[in-house]
Parts: sequence; C-alpha cells; structure tokens
Amino acid sequence: MSNGATGALKPRSQVAREFASKNAIVLVLLGLVVAIGIARPSFLNPANLVNILRISSVRAVIALGCGGILITRGTDLSAGRTVGLAAVVSASLAQRADYASKLFKGMPDLPLLVPVLAAIGVGLLVGLLNGSVVAFLKVPPFIATLGMMVIVYGAVSLYVDRPPMGAQPLGGLREDFTNIGTGDTLGIPNLILIAAAVALVIYVLHNKTRLGKNIFAIGGNPDAAVVSGVSVWRNTLLIYAIGGLLYGLAGALLAARTGGATNNYGNGYELDAIAACVIGGVSTSGGIGTVGGMITGVLIFEVLNNGLVVLGVSAYWQQIVKGIIIVVAVAVDIRKYLVKR
Amino acid sequence: MSENGFAVEMRAITKVFPGVKALDDVSIQVRPGSVHALMGENGAGKSTLMKCLFGIYEPDEGQIVLGGRPVAFAGARQALDAGIAMIHQELHPIPFMSVAENIWLGRYPTRNFGLFKLVNKAKMLRDTRKLFEDLRMEIDPKTWVQNLSVSKIQSMEIAKAVSYNAKVIIMDEPTSSLTENEVKHLFGIIRKLRSEGIAILYISHKMEEILEISDEVTIMRDGRRVGTYPAKELTTDLIINRMVGRDLVHRFPPRENVPGEVVMQVEGLTSTNPRSFRDVSFDLRRGEILGLGGLVGAQRTELVEAIFGLRGIKSGEIRIGGKRVAIQNAIQAKRHKIALLTEDRRTTGIFPVLSVLDNTLIANISTYIGRLLLLDRRRGEGDVRRSVEMLRVKTPSAATLIQSLSGGNQQKVIFARWLLTEPEILILDEPTRGIDVGAKYEIYTIIADLAKRGKSVIMISSEMPELLGMSDRIMVMCEGRATGILDGKAATQERIMELATQFMS
Amino acid sequence: MKRFLFALLVLAALGSSVFAQPKIGVCIYKFDDTFMSYVRNTIETAAKGKATLSVQDSQYDQPKQNDQVDQFIVQGMKSLAINMVDPSAVSVLIGKAKAKNLPLVLFNREPVAADMAKYDKAYYVGAKAQDSGTMEGEIVADYWKKNPSADLNKDGVLQYVMLIGDPSNTDAKFRTQYSIEAVVKAGIKVQKLAEDTAMWDRPKAQEKMAAWLTAYAGKIEVVFANNDDMALGAIEALKAAGYFKGGKFMPVVGVDATPPALDALEQGFLLGTVLNDATNQGLATWELAYSLAQGKSAATAVAPLANAEGKPDPKGKYVWVPYQKVTKDNYKQFKK
Repeated sequence: MSNGATGALKPRSQVAREFASKNAIVLVLLGLVVAIGIARPSFLNPANLVNILRISSVRAVIALGCGGILITRGTDLSAGRTVGLAAVVSASLAQRADYASKLFKGMPDLPLLVPVLAAIGVGLLVGLLNGSVVAFLKVPPFIATLGMMVIVYGAVSLYVDRPPMGAQPLGGLREDFTNIGTGDTLGIPNLILIAAAVALVIYVLHNKTRLGKNIFAIGGNPDAAVVSGVSVWRNTLLIYAIGGLLYGLAGALLAARTGGATNNYGNGYELDAIAACVIGGVSTSGGIGTVGGMITGVLIFEVLNNGLVVLGVSAYWQQIVKGIIIVVAVAVDIRKYLVKR
Repeated sequence: MSENGFAVEMRAITKVFPGVKALDDVSIQVRPGSVHALMGENGAGKSTLMKCLFGIYEPDEGQIVLGGRPVAFAGARQALDAGIAMIHQELHPIPFMSVAENIWLGRYPTRNFGLFKLVNKAKMLRDTRKLFEDLRMEIDPKTWVQNLSVSKIQSMEIAKAVSYNAKVIIMDEPTSSLTENEVKHLFGIIRKLRSEGIAILYISHKMEEILEISDEVTIMRDGRRVGTYPAKELTTDLIINRMVGRDLVHRFPPRENVPGEVVMQVEGLTSTNPRSFRDVSFDLRRGEILGLGGLVGAQRTELVEAIFGLRGIKSGEIRIGGKRVAIQNAIQAKRHKIALLTEDRRTTGIFPVLSVLDNTLIANISTYIGRLLLLDRRRGEGDVRRSVEMLRVKTPSAATLIQSLSGGNQQKVIFARWLLTEPEILILDEPTRGIDVGAKYEIYTIIADLAKRGKSVIMISSEMPELLGMSDRIMVMCEGRATGILDGKAATQERIMELATQFMS
Repeated sequence: MKRFLFALLVLAALGSSVFAQPKIGVCIYKFDDTFMSYVRNTIETAAKGKATLSVQDSQYDQPKQNDQVDQFIVQGMKSLAINMVDPSAVSVLIGKAKAKNLPLVLFNREPVAADMAKYDKAYYVGAKAQDSGTMEGEIVADYWKKNPSADLNKDGVLQYVMLIGDPSNTDAKFRTQYSIEAVVKAGIKVQKLAEDTAMWDRPKAQEKMAAWLTAYAGKIEVVFANNDDMALGAIEALKAAGYFKGGKFMPVVGVDATPPALDALEQGFLLGTVLNDATNQGLATWELAYSLAQGKSAATAVAPLANAEGKPDPKGKYVWVPYQKVTKDNYKQFKK
C-alpha cells in the first residue's frame, strides 16, 4: 500500500457518492443538451456546438478568474467592466492602419502581441488595485469591487470618448487580431485552445501550488489561516491580480471574436460568471470550488443561452428560464452539503 | 407520568451514515426527575443519539417513546413542542438582541392591533422575569446577549428550555467553558429542575461532575451501549474502564524529559489592551513542560497569542535563544520555531471543508514547493500518512474532509500540522478540551514525548489534574497578572486555586 | 477724475464685449451617449465667439436636470437648450421657463405635443424616430426589388430576423415597427422568423445570430438590427458561418452610421444604415437657441419650422432634422 495509499483508504461507497455528487452538475448539462437536441435536432449540429464552445471559451476565462476569488470568500463585481476596458484597449491598438476612424490616428500597425499584452496589463492593474483595497484597506470585497466596477466604466468611457467623435464604437480591427477569436489551429478554434490552456494553468494553480492551498485555506477559515501563518494579504492580492489578468485576456478575446468593442462591452458579465461558478458548485461561503465545476457551469449557461434562442423561446421567457435554472441547479448542488448535518 | 414510568425511552435506535454505523441498536430509558448521564469517547455516538431524540436526525431503525407514546419528530421545532429541549455545546444566541427576545424568539407573545399583531413587549419582559425568578437566575431580561458571560448565556438557554415546558432537557457538555463557581451554580439549577420532575440527559467527559450530579449513567462505545449503571455504583476507574474497554492504569504517561537551558525569556510583557495581561515574566527551558493555570478570564490565551504575534504588545520583551525578538504575526512566529494550537478548534483551528491532507500541510506548505513552484505531492502525502499513523488519527483517508472527524481526531490533525513545522517551542491552549479519555492519554503521550525530545512546551489547562500531572512547573495567572510559578511536583490543587483567585474579592 | 472716467470706459468696453454675448444654458441627458456627444460637440463649436455656453451633464437623472435649469435661471441665461432625461416630465421645465418668459429649446428627446402647447416659447429640435425605421425598411425594399436572387426559397416572401435593442426603449420600438411597415408598404410580403433582444450589444447580437443560423439554416433572407453595433455582431456571426465569401451574401441593415459600420459598408458586409444627423441636429438647436437668446423670432433661424406632424409651418414650434440613408453609394460623404 505504498502507492496511492490515501486513495485506497477510502471506502468504496464514499468514492461512489463523491463521484455522483461531483457529476450531478455534468448530468444536468448533458440532460440539457439532449433535451434541446431532441426538441430541435439542428441544435446538435457540430457547427452550433463548436460555436457554443467558442462563446463559452471567453466566458470560461472570466469565470476561472472570478472563481478563485469566490473561493477566498471574496467576490468581484468589476469583472465585467474590466473585460470591457480590456476589450476597448486591445481593440484601440489593433485597428487597421488604413481604417479611417482610428482612435489613435496615424498609429502604425503594432506587433500582434501588443494589443493582447496591453489588455492583460490593464486587467492585471485593475486586479492589483482590487486586491490592494481588499487586502490592505480591508474594504469588504463586495464594496471594493463595486466601486471598481463604476471606476472602470468611467475609465473606459474616458478612454474612448475623444472629440470630435465622442464615445465611438471601435471597429476596423486587423485580421490577424480577429483571427485569434475566429480562426482555427489544426482544425480547433483558437479560442477553445486558449481557454483549455487557461483552464489547465488554473487547475494546476489551484491544486498543485502553495497559492492554491492557501486560497482554499483562507476561504475555508480565514481566522485559522492567520493562525497557521498563511499570508492572507499576499494571497488575496495575488488571487485578485490573477482574476484581473484573466479578465484582461478575456477582453482581448472578446474584441477579437466580435471584431470590435464599445465602452459597454462586458456589462453584466460578472454576474454571469458568478452565477456560472455557483452553478458549478463553487461555494459563496468560501473554500469550495473546482475548475471542472466552473467550466461546467459556464457551459450550462451558454447551452441555455444558445438553446433557448434555437428553440425560439421569447426574450422575456429566456430570462425567466435562466433565473430558474440558476436557483434549481444550486438547490440540487447544495444537497450534498445539507445531507451531512 | 406515563404507563411505563419513563419520561422518555429510546428503543433499539440504529443510525447509519455513509460508511459509518454511528448508532447500533442503542436503547436508553430516562426516568422523570432524574439526571441521566451519557458517557463515552468522542465518536461513541452520544451526540448522534441525542440529535435523533431532538429531531435533528431521523433514526434508520428503532422507536422513540415520549411519555408512553411513540413519537417521530421531523425537526427540532416538533421536539420542542413535544417537550424536549436541547442545550447545545456551542451556544448560538443572537448577540444584538435582548435576553428576553432571545428566549421568546419565534414565539413572541403578541397583542392585536387592528389587523396587525404586535409583539407584546411588556408581557414578554414580565414572563422572562418570572422565569428567572423561578429558576433563581440573576439576569436582566433587557440586556443584550452580547454583554453576557458564557455562563449567563447558558443559564438563559436553560431558562428558554424551561419556558417550553420541557419535560426532557438535553445538555451537551454544558460545563466545558464554565468556571468552578459557575459549575456549582449550574448544578444548583439542575437539581432544582430535577426536583420538579424534569428529566435531564447530561453529556460530559468530566468524571467528577458526572459522579456528583447524575443518578444513572449510560456508557457508550463505538455506537453501542455498554450498559446503564446507577451513579452510586461507579468510580472514575470503572467508567474509564468501560468507556475504553480496557484498563487505564495511569491517567498520565511517565515523563522522562529533562529540562535544560533557558530557550525563551519573557520579561514584563504588557498587552496593548489595558484590561488584558500586564507585567508578565517567566522563562522556558529546553525540554520543559510549563503549565499555565488560572480561571477563565485570567488572560492566559491572550498572553500566548501575543507571544505568537497575534495580539498587540505595549511593553516588555521576549528573548529567544538570548536574542530579543519582535514577532508581529504567525509567519514570523513560525520562523522562530514557535507553534500554537489554539483554544477554539472550530473558529481558529480547522478548515472544515478541506481535507485532512490539506489541514495537515497548510502551516508548512512552503516546504513542499518543488520544481516549477509546484507542490511535491508525494512527499506531502507521505508526511501526512506518517503523521496520521504516529498520532493515530482515525480517518477513512487523507482526502476525508476534517469536518467529518471527531473532535479528538481533529485536534490530532492540528497537532500533526504544527509538528510538521518542526517547532522548538509548542504553545498548547487547552489541548485536550472536548477530547475523550482514551484520546487524552494519547495526547499526553505526544506531549511527554515532545518534551523528551527537547522541545519546550507551554500548556494552558483549566483541568487541575492535567496541570499537576503533566507540568514541570506551573505558572498561575489571575486577572492578567502572573501570581506565581510553582514546581510541578510540589504543587497542589489548593495552592493553584489560591494563586488563581489572588486578586479576586 | 479723468482717470476714473477712463477706467469706467475700459470697464464698459470690456463689459459690453461680454454682455454682447448672450448666455445660453445647455443640458445633455447624459454625456456618455455616443450620439449626444456628437451633438454637444457641434453646439459647442458653433457657439465659439458668439455666446457664453454653460453645458451640463444631467447624468440620466431628471431631478438633477431640474436643479440645473433652476441654476441657469438664477444665472440669468437668455435661453435654454435642454436635452431631456425624461421627456414626459417636461411640464415642470416649461413652468419654470414660462415664469421667467425664457425661451426653451428642447432637443433630441421629444415631449408630447400637448405639453409643448402649454408655452409659446417652447420649441423642439429632433428627428422623427419613426423615420429611422422607415428608411431601414426602404433600403431593404430597394435591395429586394433589385436582387431577385435575394428571395432564397423563391416564395415571393421576405423571411427576416430582427435584433431588438432594448424592448422598453421608444427608438427600438419605432425601428422594429416602421422598418417592417416600410417593406410592406413597398408591396413586399414578409415573414418574421425570429426576433430577440440583444440590448444594443455587439457580442449579444453575435450570439443570437449564431443561434438563429442554426435554427433557421438557409431560411434567413434579411437581418434587421435596431442599431449598427448589433448589425456588426450579426455580420461576425455570418462570417463565422461562411457568409461574405465566395458570393454568399446576407443583407444586414442597422441604424447610426457609426465609423465601424461605414467601414463594414465599404468592405461590402453591411447593406445599409441610417444616419441620425448629429451635426444638423446640433446646428439647428444652436441656431434656434441663439436667435431666441438675442430676442429674435424663431423664424429668422436657418432651419425651417414645422408643425408636430412634420408639415412646414412658419409659425410652427418644431424643427425636424431628417435622417439620411447611408449605403455603399453615398457612405464616403459621411466618413469623418
């Protein structure tokens, strides 16, 4: 019993139970896909499914950033607006040199990496600010990021609102830039590859690194974390910074996928991300959450978004159905914690 | 009372949790007007049995008979309505509400006001005063619960139970955070309730208390009932024997540690909080166990937490290995090879939703960083496995969430956590609180072994036998000041008590 | 004494140059509205050297705007140009202006005619919101008639999908309704395959369009969008589905004539859009407010006056600034 002894100690019934509860949410996802597919077989077209994955990719990157923060008992309401800011910044740096209404007139074509890194950079900056306010000023995350949400929107509006054009939508993006969002590599959409890579990195970060162990400890019991010598401020700062970085990346991907950006991009994405995380089993009271769960939550959300339109459900009913699904999914998922008491 | 004469009877109760048979065919019978004690090691099933009675769990098999009628409760509310009340080990009153409001919570007396029902505050206060008078409790019904001591809150909870006209009151470890005087007061209340025909189910680990207050004792082990005995026929040794199923000849292990040179000196340490400790001086030797005695409120916890960097120090100094140190937080404390096992396991010890593995490694996580900043999982698992074996932690696996372990096993995991940091100085704040006798002995063995290996130990304890049985020297505190340091062998309970109450009027 | 008189003269000269410039108060319902910032910039540029402007941001808050108007009155403004947050609350503003006999030029967000009738010095400058929808429809009708191949299933019926901005917004309602009415008026039968709200948002429109392309593969013949951002989102989804390559085309129309939309027109992705003429709206507002501030009659301003229905009327209180269709034939003149 020298190898994997920890796993072998587990009684079989517990393994089975864990497997079932872990996969309850995956079953919900499969159920939705099958149900919509039966009602409207065209939903199952490979092209449509790939399209859902492509949309989910951007959302997943946001949710993965937000999920880590939720695990620490934090929250990030500025996620959506930060995505918008990053989208606008990257779009403004990726406009074609011959595009007449460029934000930066006369700017030559920059290397492709510049708009992407700039987006990541502004995201990171917002994340560091959020983290500093939460970690050092001890402002509750809800308030800190609420303030940041408003500030970031102001900043992005200032950035695009330049006379004489005013707050114009940014268009005319270079094809090599939009190709990040619309093109394929080896037959797989770039967006999906990028999201998969991000998921892998975040999985390793959460499960195989000190930062990961520490954020789960901080979320699991902040007081015990202090006593155990976990540096709460450093890990808090880091997790918000990583969140910001991912929003930045997501912003660039969003601009690339849609071929443009406005100051209203990303509006409300933070709530979608939080909802997706919670559907995926992330506990808002901290300490619990898996990368697989977060991604499953995002997929459920986007399958619904797409599926309801494909089914021809009216816009108002779509809202009602989505709201119900959020509550029901969490109600089902939370059973596994309630049973124990 | 009823046909069979029992206030409550539990017949052949079985309760299975995934992977564990928590209760196996357990029956108890409780007479009205008696105190029936439940004893057993942690995990023996006492709390589970009581939760079945109180409607929190539904038994898988068996029957509960209350006043001669079979009952099945779907929740605590129904149990309360039927006349069963429970005083939990951890009290959860609402701090920013008055005592009266807490007692009548959810069933405020009301009066009609047109279409509306308004809370009848006058009646509520009147009823509360009457309740306290009957029970001879001195609590102001209007004060915020926030301002009450633990003992008063407990009295309030008992009054609340009585206010439900409870015929059966369950008390789960009611004395775990009470001083000796408060325990006496509690026992007075219990005797009064008993004289009024109320049946008390009393869970405790403290033998002396059980023998003093109870009429009958049911002993449980591993989810089964060992037997029910009249308290008069029992002795401490008999109880221990039946609880652990083996003889415990010695309550404390033999100690072979030899105190050496001074490793830490504390001089004139004074808290930034004027009501906390002041001017405390002592030194600690290599391989020594220094007991820290005193009553609740003596500021012992505050003192050790300040040494560990969790609380502010206004003046005074700490020297480790002759060098003055300024420890600001737990990270620096760890660097100085100090470990602290806190008093309150649940709020500052365990990470409930994390695994035993993560709980063990968290304080020492930096040392497992390997290539590419990734953690060396195999080494971590190996260390945890060795710790689990060495400290005999009973857990299905290292991946089990710590919240599903018993208190004693949780405490062992926290021991394992700190031992992995390879400390030279271990500060143990009530290390055996809420832990059963068998596990206590194991923890004493661990402590004695650490001292033998040259580690220095500061141990806060409110249990006299433990202080006397384990310490090389005992420092006693009273109201924030050190009132004396006694030699372990020469110290007596009386002498400690004297020092612990030195400044009290 | 001489020196004193000289000083007075200098003061008078200085003063007259300031006093000669009438003070005009301007409120914008919110500064971060793209279109309104064009209008605002036009007014500010036109006013340079002619009047002293005070331009306020009402921050999408009608009570705040009321306070700003009170402030203007106290400051002695000669006329007011107000872009209301909530046009249904106009009677309060009219009351304030009427009490001081101050000319009031409302613009871009239209109050009901009954309120306008309460005060003879209340004017309105704006576009007929219905027209934006009508012109969108006319662009499509025009295309449909010229390109018989646009009727993919040859059933003589135009199958379309509609991307709605915000269902509670008047402009969105008008554009949705009148675009289709214009197509029908041109004698074309229509069939709605789907409509959905995308909140004026490009990514949302892209996601909805992609789903429709799955649900109605090969059936969609025209895409209507309440604005350009959504039209461009639909175009991205169409591109991903293989449109605009190898002769596969889909007519998509929007409203606003934003720079990215003009770019898409140039590249042949967008069929057409409708310009809400910010420049002329700004100029007309400015001219009217400026004439009135100088005590001149409204009719002396350049823009033609009309009545509420849009008929020319020299005594009317409305200036209607027409929308303009923008297609690949004329887009160049709108590029800035």
